[in-house]
Amino acid sequence: MSAILKLENICYGYTDGSFKREILKSLSYEFQAGTFYTILGPSGSGKTTLLSIMAGLDKQESGKIYFEGEDIDKMGLYRYRRNKIGVVFQSYNLITYLTGLENTLLSMTETDNKLPANRKEVAYALLNMVGIANTKADRLVTRLSGGEQQRIAIARAIACNVDLIFADEPTGNLDTATEQEIIRLFQMLSERYGKTIIAVTHSNEVSKLSDHRVLLKNGVLNDL
Amino acid sequence: MNFFQRAIRYLTRKPTKSILLMITFFVIGNLVILGMGVSQASDNAKILTRKKMRAIVSYEVDYNSYWNYVYSISDKDEMEAASRNSPKIPMDQVLVLKKDERVKALNYLLNNTFYSMGFENVPVGNEDMSSSDSSNQPYNAAGNSTRANIMGYGNAFPELIELTEGTMTIKDGRFYSQDDIDQNRRVCVISEELAEQNALKPGDSLTMSTFSPDEKKTYIDAGISEDDVNLELEIIGIYNTKENVDPNSPDFKWMSPYESPKNRIYMPLSTLQEFVGTMTEYTVKVHPDWYRDTDVETVKTSRISPSRAVYLLDDPLNVDAFVEDHKSSTGDYLVLNANNETFKKMARPLDTMSFFANIVVWIVVVNAVVIISLVTALTLKTREYEIGVMLSIGVSKQMVVVQLFLELMLIAILGFALASVSGSLAAGQVGEMVLDFQTTSEAQYGSSEEGSYFSSSDYFTQVTQDEMLSEYHVSVSPMLIGEIFLLGTGVVLIATLIPSLMIMRLNPKQILLS
Repeated sequence: MSAILKLENICYGYTDGSFKREILKSLSYEFQAGTFYTILGPSGSGKTTLLSIMAGLDKQESGKIYFEGEDIDKMGLYRYRRNKIGVVFQSYNLITYLTGLENTLLSMTETDNKLPANRKEVAYALLNMVGIANTKADRLVTRLSGGEQQRIAIARAIACNVDLIFADEPTGNLDTATEQEIIRLFQMLSERYGKTIIAVTHSNEVSKLSDHRVLLKNGVLNDL
Repeated sequence: MNFFQRAIRYLTRKPTKSILLMITFFVIGNLVILGMGVSQASDNAKILTRKKMRAIVSYEVDYNSYWNYVYSISDKDEMEAASRNSPKIPMDQVLVLKKDERVKALNYLLNNTFYSMGFENVPVGNEDMSSSDSSNQPYNAAGNSTRANIMGYGNAFPELIELTEGTMTIKDGRFYSQDDIDQNRRVCVISEELAEQNALKPGDSLTMSTFSPDEKKTYIDAGISEDDVNLELEIIGIYNTKENVDPNSPDFKWMSPYESPKNRIYMPLSTLQEFVGTMTEYTVKVHPDWYRDTDVETVKTSRISPSRAVYLLDDPLNVDAFVEDHKSSTGDYLVLNANNETFKKMARPLDTMSFFANIVVWIVVVNAVVIISLVTALTLKTREYEIGVMLSIGVSKQMVVVQLFLELMLIAILGFALASVSGSLAAGQVGEMVLDFQTTSEAQYGSSEEGSYFSSSDYFTQVTQDEMLSEYHVSVSPMLIGEIFLLGTGVVLIATLIPSLMIMRLNPKQILLS
């Protein structure tokens, strides 16, 4: 297996008055392709910060991040977000005036990746795959349950044909049964389609179902 | 799901916000159309009236300022000398203006009354009304007129305004040429009525004098031969004129024959100047007591100098620009008169209305920018989350701004389209109301200003204020709609600017992961 994402000496911190707090301390790690990772850690350990840096939503103070060997800063964070990764958030983060289908199509429109011409059919198929029927896909997302919205968020994340998906507490707002279904979905994506899933979670139940568990503590990542 | 589709989805799926915003644009659009429509109608009325007026500019003495200057001289002798030596229209400057490509024709005319000799003037039509004294016969036994009955006109150029405009046409023969003018030839062009009255045709001659038969005796007694005081001219052309005396004019009863356009005899300016100059010399010689304090040349110059040069331009709308371009080079106490004072006075209600309409437009536009900016900025606060999502999936900030602009633009187009219907109706109604109020106020409190004492306006088209106001019609033209949409685009652009700055500062991590 090859490293899809490589973190090299990542440092990040913030200043509170005269006090400087370091969140990530020369953090280095390699994520292998096709693996379902969960990152665990105590509250305030910097899990979400690390995820946002890896997803190109924030910038590290120092250090390098390589996606398939290419420096994402050189690639450009917009291009990186558009073409290389998908992100699933705890609160789904769907556009409320669009339907499930339109939310999925949104990321397909923005990406520069080569996609089939029949995008609408592909989007329906993806939604069906994550458990959303066509009738529900055509509804405004505000009329769907939390679990359904998170499934649409996952479909949107993979719709632009990316291999790396980040998830920030993806089951944080869901009941146990739905949580299980979402995790199984991630497992399926990883096992059947070779997607790399990096999920931040505080739930041991979720992390037990992942291929690889990593702990963020004292600003560094360690395998569990 | 590109930015255009997203914009359409946002507008259709957030109908309350869209309708409120559209109402805002609709109201703004109505007010702008009202202001611009009224302003444009005022400008159009002025332009249409201007077009109806002849494109005439008169280069003339500004007697108001000249007499002010004369009266300001404290030394009596100097004052008298100045009063006898009024400004003359310089030929070199006349020619400079003539070279302007907008000039179509030029009347640099001198006129002088004459007594016909051996031919009769064309009757004016008032002969029965004014001949109360039956002893005063119009012609003596020799067939010479006993009263001035012919007006001799001398133009410095063959391009007479009346010929160019077509109010006068050459029916037979020709008009005099530049060569005739340069050679001081004793040739003339007479009206067809005068020709018919006296059975004259091109090639014939006629004789006139500046002195009456009685006056002439005095001159002959002083040793001047009769031939010297007579002007014999060869007829080279017969003209037809559309001009006529107005029998309804209050002055008709007292009108002299030489005032009739049919009794005008056109000759080269040089010919007329030469003859009138010689006659002036004789007068000074015969009546030296009349000119005791003045030298002959001064008297002669004042008699043979045309009092003004009248230019016919190619377009009435070029009149103001022509005056503006040349006003600095006219010379002391000389002006280019385009009859603008009268025009401006008549246009005052329209100008006032246009002024306030423009103020309304600008107030509305400024307010529109502020209101739309605020509404957009406030709406943006509720859309931060959505923008964060778009940024997280790689939509650039610029495209988010474009979507925002497009949403506003689509709403603005709809609002302005509806406003262009209602606004044109409102503009018509309000415009008429304001104009009525304005003209009533003008009439009630009226201006006490009088026209210039010395203004000469026979070449200018006399247009009344009612005629000008009758041209006032508010209509929303495609051009106006285009202007409004352009203005609307400007408003939307500026209104998008502040929210765009807010978008540029957004950080997706802070929005989505906080």
